[in-house]
Amino acid sequence: MADNSSNKSLFTVSSLQGGYGDIQILNGVSIDVPEKNIVTIVGPNGAGKSTILKAVYGIAKVTSGSVTLHKDGKDIDVLATKPHNLSKIGVGYVPQIENVFPALSIEENLEVGYVDFANKSLDEVRDEIYQSYPDLKKRHRDRAGTLSGGQRQMLAMARALMSSPRILLLDEPSAGLAPALVDQLFDELVKINQTGVTILMVEQNARRALAISDYGYVLDMGRNRHEGVGSALVDDPEIVGIYLGKK
Amino acid sequence: MSDFIQYFFNGLVVGCIFAIAAVGISLLYSVLRLVNFAAGDFLTLGAFITYFLSVTLELNFLLSVVVSMIAGMAISWFLELVLWRNLRRNKAGTLALFLVATGVALMLRPIIQFIFGTETRKFNIDILKTYDFLGARIPQTQLLVLIFASASILTIALFIAKARIGKDMRAYANNPGLASVSGINVDRVVLATWLISGALGSLAGVFQGLVQGQFNNAMGESLLLSFFAAVVLGTIGDAYGALAGGLLLGLIMELSQLSIFFGGVPSNYKPVVAFATLVLVLLFKPEGIFGYRARKV
Repeated sequence: MADNSSNKSLFTVSSLQGGYGDIQILNGVSIDVPEKNIVTIVGPNGAGKSTILKAVYGIAKVTSGSVTLHKDGKDIDVLATKPHNLSKIGVGYVPQIENVFPALSIEENLEVGYVDFANKSLDEVRDEIYQSYPDLKKRHRDRAGTLSGGQRQMLAMARALMSSPRILLLDEPSAGLAPALVDQLFDELVKINQTGVTILMVEQNARRALAISDYGYVLDMGRNRHEGVGSALVDDPEIVGIYLGKK
Repeated sequence: MSDFIQYFFNGLVVGCIFAIAAVGISLLYSVLRLVNFAAGDFLTLGAFITYFLSVTLELNFLLSVVVSMIAGMAISWFLELVLWRNLRRNKAGTLALFLVATGVALMLRPIIQFIFGTETRKFNIDILKTYDFLGARIPQTQLLVLIFASASILTIALFIAKARIGKDMRAYANNPGLASVSGINVDRVVLATWLISGALGSLAGVFQGLVQGQFNNAMGESLLLSFFAAVVLGTIGDAYGALAGGLLLGLIMELSQLSIFFGGVPSNYKPVVAFATLVLVLLFKPEGIFGYRARKV
């Protein structure tokens, strides 16, 4: 967690309302993600955490509000961008489940994540990824379906990084991982962040996630409940009592 | 021995054609969940368009084949625009799509009959020239079909394996939800799938017409069930599986005529052999020859 508090906004969600069909889940959520920060959204089940990310990708319906990417002095309307073009404008997404292509090899999983917009070739980007994830390189010919849960999560993040994103949206990255792997995963996220990638994640494992975050939001019933610097939220007795549970 | 060589050669020729037709059906199923019951009639259409261009209009044969492949692509894409796209938007299920495909097949048949008639046709190609190879009779047309068909199969396999759009197709088939949020242009994948299956349908039709020597408007539909057997044999929705399943099925159907198998299965029982093979494989390996199951996490 670097001192990034003075950074400009990269990604803003403002007064987002929406849900699935006629069921409204989001009742005006606002999130601000400064450049190069790690921002975490926590909250109880059904608070609408993942729905925010799904709304960005058109999986959940948006009835009002906006999502904006502030990139290179331009404001890009994210909700008006087709989902398959989001990786082209610098937004990467790692869904919570089914986030790899099991029948494709590890290398192919990475290749389909590559977006040919940067001045880097596929080989260059892939070699960089292999340097950070030697385990993936070792098994690059194996089908992703043969990987363990932890390795799959690594591959899913690596695939998202293949598009050289400015911001990575992560939906409960630690879900379903063994405790030892959870530490490894959060270490990994800090490393990714140190390379200059902004991170917005939704997490159940609130205490651990907030500990590595620059800023955190507590959501409840589709509304902002609390927000603050990550470490401060973890220490706030009221929030701990209601949302984070006892240690 | 010469019998074996003869049937093996015939099996390779038939198998290559099955493979080309089956991979088109397999791609459509894996990408669009569409069981293309009209695939057989696209073969017939390809053969008749080629016949019309090369015999009636006396154009160069290869040129005629290329134009008929382009026509196959165009008709496939037209149907996507007016039919399939709208059905998917309305969330039509696999069964509904299957029934509509059957409807397309039932419409295509009389249209082909109306335009080209019911007479038996043959291409303007010398089908009588044969070579003698270790006692087996190898007709020149079949040899040429084998060469061009194997080249086509290699091209398809390489395309699916190596081309970016081929990888995108496999990725989308494997996990459509993830594909559409991870930078894969789904519209392009769908377009590519239709173009490939349209072109392959015409190509397989020309090959089949050449191998049979003569053909009528029922050519494709009579083969359809064998194509489906090939697709299922090689694992439903696996493109390489369909290629291998087609080849294997062709070989088995032809080799079953060898006298060591119950004195040789009569050739009009070949479809029975195809389905007996299918049933046996599915009994012991329900996911098909190339099926694999992902590790549960």
